[in-house]
Amino acid sequence: MFWTPLINFEEKLGANLGEFAGWKMPMTYTSYQEEHMAVRTKSAFFDLSHMGRLRITGKLQEFENLVAKKVSDSSPGTMVGPTAFLNDKAGFVDDVMTYKVSESEFLVVTNAINREKVINWIRKNSSLEVEDLTFDLVMIALQGRGIWEVAEKPDLSPLQFKLNAKFEGHEVFLLSRSGWTGEDGLEFWAKPEVAQSILERLIARGVKGAGLVARDSLRQEMGFVLYGEDIGEDVNPVEARYWVYSLDKDFIGKGALLDILRTGVDRLRIGIKLPKNQRVIPRNSSKIKIAGKEVGYVTSSTFSPYLSRVIGMGYLSSRHFLMGGNAEVEVRGKDYSVKLSDFPLFK
Amino acid sequence: MSEIRVGKYVLKTDLLYTESDEWVKLNGMEAVVGITDYAQKKLRDIVGVDLPKRGQKVTLGEVVAVVESVKAAADIYSPLSGEVTDVNEELTSSPELINKDPYGSGWLFKLRISNPEESKKLLSPELYAEKIKGD
Repeated sequence: MFWTPLINFEEKLGANLGEFAGWKMPMTYTSYQEEHMAVRTKSAFFDLSHMGRLRITGKLQEFENLVAKKVSDSSPGTMVGPTAFLNDKAGFVDDVMTYKVSESEFLVVTNAINREKVINWIRKNSSLEVEDLTFDLVMIALQGRGIWEVAEKPDLSPLQFKLNAKFEGHEVFLLSRSGWTGEDGLEFWAKPEVAQSILERLIARGVKGAGLVARDSLRQEMGFVLYGEDIGEDVNPVEARYWVYSLDKDFIGKGALLDILRTGVDRLRIGIKLPKNQRVIPRNSSKIKIAGKEVGYVTSSTFSPYLSRVIGMGYLSSRHFLMGGNAEVEVRGKDYSVKLSDFPLFK
Repeated sequence: MSEIRVGKYVLKTDLLYTESDEWVKLNGMEAVVGITDYAQKKLRDIVGVDLPKRGQKVTLGEVVAVVESVKAAADIYSPLSGEVTDVNEELTSSPELINKDPYGSGWLFKLRISNPEESKKLLSPELYAEKIKGD
């Protein structure tokens, strides 16, 4: 079990800790609903130190062969955006965020559960150098509609980043205009003591702590996938409708991906919304039915504080991909009506 | 109503408890049932509840309700046998009352009990305090 280096600081702030992907992390501070709404209306910070952070150096061409999205089109100092490492069947080895530092240096953020797998996979499939920065630096996200009222706004466009940047009077290793909640904000990587000093300043200005439960409900409203729940090695980006690849270059899994695009897919990812008064939460693997026939399954679900209703996502047989239509979801042996919806679910 | 504190958890001295973390307020042949402060804190944000029906006959130990948190769905067991006489319908739209006021407005259902002898099996506040101590 790994622990976030900020654990003592966060416990003093009232964090309730829980385990996620082998890490002890803040799950909530007060209630996830308050934290969720703080992001949608004001501002909050998340500790994301569990996410794998790798520095990769070597030939661009070799890196290009690993990631599904084209890296050579991006300028240095830009995030290539969400992309993926695919296996030779075009299933997700991991979905990752990629930062292009230069033509020969890249940073990659992996899902916590895939960090070691990704390191081994890169080493097996390339001669690139991989350095694991995960345990040297913490990663903090500041997110929210009101974030620039309380935090210094960096001179960065969305998906731009700087290394060794100044933020709130401190030097951080990386500062990026990015996030994963659907709101504006930034992320920074820094030494734990630096991150704590920055957070102390921001908390004094009203920025709230938010845990991983709120992060999960925020990403579900946006329709963002979670590795291990919504995608995995046996799911490809076409089924997931996760457009994280470029077909004008070669990469591992491209051949399979082209075959899939030509043949079509049997299932597609879709959002679900329950009626407002129906407070049941379908769990992973709950059946989705149309007119009593099983046509899919749920992968994630939660109560959306913003919409005041239960939402979720799952996979539906492509023959039954009746967007906007009605279906049922089975929870504890009972069927509840759901609306089949596209993403994002909250706008 | 006086209280006992066990760490960050609160118990009420005029209630009886179950091993499965329900509380019972006995008033003659009527029992009011809810979940304990300990249980709601373990579940954290409660976002839904599935209550029994009025008139439903229940037996001790039977699953009669479900409390949904974002983390998991928790089965609620009937602490006694009897008939459901009332359910807290306010919880359908405001299940967070269980988090805010587990021993008050967060009550779940009422029973007309059929076997008062069964209440002897319930835990006293002191025994329940022992059970959750150190957790």
